[in-house]
Parts: sequence; structure tokens; C-alpha cells
Amino acid sequence: MYLTKKTYIKPDMKLGGLFFENPYLLLMMEHFNLDFVVNDKTIEKVCQESSINSNIFVDIANLYNGFNDLDAKKYTKTDILTIVNFLKNSHNYYKEEKYPEIQSLINKILKLNETREIKLISKFFGEYFNEVIDHLDYEDQVAFPYFLNLLEDGRNIPKGKDYSAKIYSDHHTDIETKLMELKTLLLRHIPLGKDRSLRRRLIISLFELDYDLNIHYLIEESALTPLIEKIENGFKK
Amino acid sequence: MTDCKIYIAIVEHSYIICEGLSNILLKSDHHSQVFRFESLQELSEFPGREKLNMVIINPSFAISDRKDFFALRKSLKNAKWLGLIYSYFDKKIIELFDDTIEISYDPSDIKKIISKISKEDWPCLEEDQVEELSEREKDVLIELVNGFSNKEIAEKLNISTHTVASHRKNITSKIGVKSLAGLTIYSITKGIISLEDL
Repeated sequence: MYLTKKTYIKPDMKLGGLFFENPYLLLMMEHFNLDFVVNDKTIEKVCQESSINSNIFVDIANLYNGFNDLDAKKYTKTDILTIVNFLKNSHNYYKEEKYPEIQSLINKILKLNETREIKLISKFFGEYFNEVIDHLDYEDQVAFPYFLNLLEDGRNIPKGKDYSAKIYSDHHTDIETKLMELKTLLLRHIPLGKDRSLRRRLIISLFELDYDLNIHYLIEESALTPLIEKIENGFKK
Repeated sequence: MTDCKIYIAIVEHSYIICEGLSNILLKSDHHSQVFRFESLQELSEFPGREKLNMVIINPSFAISDRKDFFALRKSLKNAKWLGLIYSYFDKKIIELFDDTIEISYDPSDIKKIISKISKEDWPCLEEDQVEELSEREKDVLIELVNGFSNKEIAEKLNISTHTVASHRKNITSKIGVKSLAGLTIYSITKGIISLEDL
């Protein structure tokens, strides 16, 4: 099924060229902790130099281009580290960059258009983001350490701990719904005052957050969780 | 309130034919979203399949995967099934479809077929989509925002909880907001309640 006209990415493609088509791949590079000025290197070469499995790299890059080809069968146990680092870096991006950016836009709008609605939007976003932070903290403090422990020495780990893929999925649905509502309220219902340009920036910023959170969720759901379950099942036997 | 877009699935092996048809459909007067599938199985796994209004399909799928074809036809009973004809098929096969689109058709012929079908089945295409809440829905909304449960609202307004639930569903599909916090913001924006009421 195709809804996008973006390039379907393959390992022998030159990475640099793809950024011209979809600049959000730069964000992906940051999540991988890689530099994006890569001269003429192919994806394969870049992955080789940084010891990343090109299968996982290509599949994640394709997510950014609108194709979901994630398939845990293509990845190995050692890729868990790559994935966890990627997700951790995205957490930093949400916490350190995206949230403050959105909050500061809301504050600026409040200065121009101090209405009840915008005040409530500010509150709504605050509550929404606290939920996101709770979830990110849960991953940073419970889920990820558990995964890494599992990789290092599976015998010493407490069983399954509090980690549950189901919890993540519920959180995610809730987070999605709230973000969608925020966009709906700002786009369809709350009248514009002098905040037109600021609100446009705010809405675009919300879409960017949504876009990245969505990819984040897919990676957890279709790549990380199955890999973890495979290891856990291996220990049970 | 259903939204008035037409959701169309094209099930066809040929990319060229699929892209061409998709372009014609997207440029027609109706608002449509087109999805491409290469097999019946892909269609049966598509999460948005319940929404589909129309399935345009190469009849060869009905011959090669007869069982899947009938199962899907039965489960997607709200969709109109159109055969996409560019080779010879037995009359019995053609009769399996609600209508056909032939490869020799002009874009305007295709638009006519879509219009014909949509007039019969999707009345919402003829009237503007209503976003405005009814008075009763506003009553329910006010109680919701004030924190009452479905059961309490039913008692207060003297209606069944089932009716309350159906009003809630309609409110959400009309305005695109579900959470209490979101509904509160909406109600204030539209002057349905004022902050002092809370």
C-alpha cells in the first residue's frame, strides 16, 4: 500500500542525497548519534563505519519516508543496543528540545492572545506532556535497564520485572489521542486572534512531535519488543 | 456523522493501471482517498478496511482466490465492488460485481460511475457536513463537562444510558474531541458553558 511518493530506501543508496528529499532524516541521524555530513558515502558504508546493522538502519530510515517494513526477524540480539540508544536519544529530543519549544510557543501565544481557551490549552498540553514524561521515565528507569541487563547476563535478572509491552501500547494510544485533540482544537475550534503565525508554528511543531513519537512507537512495538521476547523465551526453555 | 470522503481500494497487479486509475479518481469531483493492494490478503489485513466505500478489483482475483474473495465481499458489505476489466471474463464472473470499469473508458465515464454509485449510497455527499451540535447533544455535553457520569446524565435528562452513550459518540465524531479536558475547552470556546459554570 502506498500513500507516499518518497524514495523507498535501500542500503546501496547514497545517504546524503536522501536528506534533500526528507530533512527529517537528519533527526533520525541524531537519534542514531551520527553526523549527517557524510560526503558520498552509501548507507552500507556509513553503517559499517559505525557498527550499525544496515537492516535496522534502512528500516528505520524507511519509517521516516513513510514505509513500514520493520520485521524483527531481520535483526539480531546485538541490535538491541542500537535500538535502545536510538530510543534514548529520541527521549532527549522530546524532553530537551521539542517540549521546551512547544511550551515557549504556547507562552508566546498567551502573551498575544490571553484568552481562557489558550490558558486551558496550555494546561492541557502541560498535563499531556507530564504523561509523556512519565512514560519516558518509565522506559529510561525500568524498561531499558532491564533490556540491557538481559543482554549482558540473562541469568541474574529478575523475571519480566514491571516491564510490559501492553502498558506501552495503552500509554501510546492515550498519548496519540491527546495530541490529536490538541491539533483539532487549534485547527478547527479555537478562533484565531493575533496569534496566526505563532499558532502555525505551534501546530507544525505538534505535527513534528507526533511524527517522531509515532516512529518511536513502531520501533518499540515491531522491533524491540519481539527481540526482547525472543530472549526471554530463550531463558524459559 | 460519517465523513464525506470516499475510501477506495484498488486491488490490481499492474502498477501502471493502478496509478493511472488512482490519478483519475483523485481528480474527480468527489473527495477520495485511494489505497492500492496487490493481493486480497493484503486487503484483508488492512486496518482501515471497514471504512472502504468502494473496492475496484481485477476479476482475476475472484477466480484465483475464490474463497478469500467471497469472504471479503461478505465482510465488507458496505462497500461497492467494481470489476476492473481489461481482458475477457466469463459473464458469470462479471455478474459477481456491482458494476464494472473497463480499460477503454474515458475518465469522464469513470467519474459518472462513481457519481451514480455515490448518489445511491452516500447521501452525505449531497449536503454539507454538519459540525454543529444539536440542542440535546449540547445538554449532554454540559453535564459531561460538569463531571457527571453516563448514568447520572441519563437520570438528569430522563433518557436511557444507551442514548447518552450514543450522544457522546456523535459529539466526538462531530467535533473530533473525546477527552474531558478537550471537551471543556471546546465548550468554552463555543460559549456552551462559561468558566464560572464549572
